Amino acid sequence: MFSEIKREPARSFAFALAAERRLLVVPRLETVDALALRVLELVNADPSLPPIDPPEAYALAFAKHAGLPLLTDNASPKLASLTLEELKGVEVLDSLDVLRALYSGETLLRAVREFAEDTGVRFSARRLRELGVA
Amino acid sequence: MELLKRLFEEKGVRVDWEAYERLTAVLREELEWARELRRREADWSYIESRPEPLRTALKLLVETGDLKLASKLCSIPLDELNEERIKAKIPIVVVSLKGDEAPEGA
Repeated sequence: MFSEIKREPARSFAFALAAERRLLVVPRLETVDALALRVLELVNADPSLPPIDPPEAYALAFAKHAGLPLLTDNASPKLASLTLEELKGVEVLDSLDVLRALYSGETLLRAVREFAEDTGVRFSARRLRELGVA
Repeated sequence: MELLKRLFEEKGVRVDWEAYERLTAVLREELEWARELRRREADWSYIESRPEPLRTALKLLVETGDLKLASKLCSIPLDELNEERIKAKIPIVVVSLKGDEAPEGA
């Protein structure tokens, strides 16, 4: 996934985060690779649903392996974690989950609005209601 | 769905099919709503003004919502395409898997 960061400002930002120990660059592990390949095949088995690519499949498998949450706005990894036995227990968080963990009340509403303006990311009404934001 | 069940069974994968059917029904509805939202909110004159392959990538993004796919198929760096996406007012839509009522506005 790190190789996908092409531009210098983004790479510099990532390196600065790593230097501050706020970003962990994970090497590829054979034990995780096997699950990642399986996840890739399973999640992409239904072509009518959003696909995941190999780096995201690896991230999902690594989240399972390390007991860490996976951050993604793609709904398919969350669907997989809720339905596939092999991925049960993996916490998959989207941007709204993260904002809700950071803020509450009026501040949360403002943060959601500002996040949407800055990034062009929008949350469906259902998703907002699901987390009690709307 | 039957084909998918057979495929997973052959691979020895255990799936909570009841949850799968319930969640994917909501997800499909949400994805369709998200596609309509992208079509509606996109700045089409900006999109049409862009050179190829950017123009095709942005149109693909409107239809699929998949930034990585559009980036790869059109050989445009992900961060560059994302900047263009913001200029073209194409939202990335975060959808729900849990149903309550019909989707409406974001």
